[in-house]
Amino acid sequence: MKYELVSGLETHVELATATKIFCSCTTAFGGSPNTHCCPVCTGQPGALPVLNKKVVEFGIRAGLATHCKINTITHLDRKNYCYPDLPKAYQISQFDKPLCENGYVELESGKRIGITRIHIEEDAGKLVHERGFTFVDYNRGGVPLIEIVSEPDISSVEEAVEYVEKLQLIMRYISVSDCKMQEGSMRCDVNISIRPEGSKILGTRTEIKNMNSLSFMERAMKFEFERQSELLNGGGEVEQATMRFDEQTGETYVMRTKEDAQDYRYFPEPDILTVTIPQKKVDEIRADLPELPVEKLKRYTVELGINHATAKLLYKYKKVCDWFEGALKNGASAKHTANLVVGTIYSTLATEEDKEKFDIKVTSAEMAKLVKLVDEGKINITLAQMTLIKMLENGGEVESYLSAEDLAGVDESELEKLCMQAIEANPQAVADFKEGKEKAIFALYGFIKRATQGKADVKKADGIIRKLIK
Amino acid sequence: MSVTVKEIKTLARLSKLDFDDEKCKGFLGEFDEIIEFANTINDAVVGDTESLKEVGGNEIALENLREDIVCESLPNEKIVSNVEAEGGFFPVKRVVK
Repeated sequence: MKYELVSGLETHVELATATKIFCSCTTAFGGSPNTHCCPVCTGQPGALPVLNKKVVEFGIRAGLATHCKINTITHLDRKNYCYPDLPKAYQISQFDKPLCENGYVELESGKRIGITRIHIEEDAGKLVHERGFTFVDYNRGGVPLIEIVSEPDISSVEEAVEYVEKLQLIMRYISVSDCKMQEGSMRCDVNISIRPEGSKILGTRTEIKNMNSLSFMERAMKFEFERQSELLNGGGEVEQATMRFDEQTGETYVMRTKEDAQDYRYFPEPDILTVTIPQKKVDEIRADLPELPVEKLKRYTVELGINHATAKLLYKYKKVCDWFEGALKNGASAKHTANLVVGTIYSTLATEEDKEKFDIKVTSAEMAKLVKLVDEGKINITLAQMTLIKMLENGGEVESYLSAEDLAGVDESELEKLCMQAIEANPQAVADFKEGKEKAIFALYGFIKRATQGKADVKKADGIIRKLIK
Repeated sequence: MSVTVKEIKTLARLSKLDFDDEKCKGFLGEFDEIIEFANTINDAVVGDTESLKEVGGNEIALENLREDIVCESLPNEKIVSNVEAEGGFFPVKRVVK
């Protein structure tokens, strides 16, 4: 029988506040073990938590950016479990009154993945297992998180990946988190069940914990889908379980089954008062939201006329967008700037991380100067590319790379002479072109570009060559 | 409602206690008595139970919450002063296989 996937995700996002959720210790990543700690975040008897205002504000921001309703009266709850990463033996989280509810994230297909809720909570400490011991570091304990719970609306691995990417982008745009999966500031628990294609009934689900990379998530989901399909096809049943993904073997394995399911004994946190949020504050935060990814992509393609593939490569990186828009503000044309970013600048930024950082030596103002020369027909795109590469290496101003000669281009009679030479030097290409092979003309462009070190205007040359060949 | 031996065993395991079947059976009556006692609250609470949900009912406005300003943490020696720390970590019995 053929099955379809039904999946919902719980995504943990570390918030980019300066201090922890319930104390004033720093949230800085790393640091020597147990040096970002105090009596509150190590759970000393008598120490009392004090809620960080910015955590609530960031939570509201995240909720509004994902079209959620904000609960203006919200409280925290204790989630009890006993494990060394949690010094109080309970996590302060939210249970029945989460900060945000009923939102969605829209995929490119237009399909909406529902957001059930977003709540705020504290992160746990880090455990290192070595030499028969477990070593505990509470630096991460108490770092603020939001948990974003989706509806089981995801029906393929591809949709799951796109959903996480979209969520990551939204959180970065609104500056509530850097969402670095490799550093653990974004991680997902994936719920998976399967059902016969076309069926409306939900099957028994399993939950794969703590996916910290998209490629692992993809592999784990594919494996778990196959595992459940084989089980059902073999007449077996899926048992409700919590699973872990082994990155080495590429397989999922059971951590605990329903029988061992934890009873968290949630109850309202007595050490923290119920928080009331004035509607005015929610409206202020909404008004302060920046342009969101979906809106930006639409503006780039529809208003600026950038082709969809190029626009997608730009809008993925917030810093690139800011820089790109800076160049536009300085008068550069969108199309040429976009093409130079994606074609030339990206070729010098090897990894995703490099593109995210976008630490380059060219300012958007200098870029605008360069692009304007192309826009005004003073230099051609090839020369602009070559100049940009030099600028990326050494920084500085456009003028220092382009001579008066460069800016003068190649005059008409000189260009005509070159076109003649190109035709004489490439008889085969000319013959092919005459027979209708359009692309053969590229050989002639190449000749002219080489002869002029890219200074000649290929568009003009094209016209001359066509006239001469006829 | 009566408690079963199986439920008592689950509770024992969650509490990290270990009892044999005989001992568990011995608890059956005790548990039933405790639950019966707790159930008397059902007779006592009448009318508006909504107000009981928020005992104390104290609220704090968003603007009165703590500002996000870093203060100095405690030195590591102080944090781990009650254990035999290793490299600044708290060592505990290994929790995963």
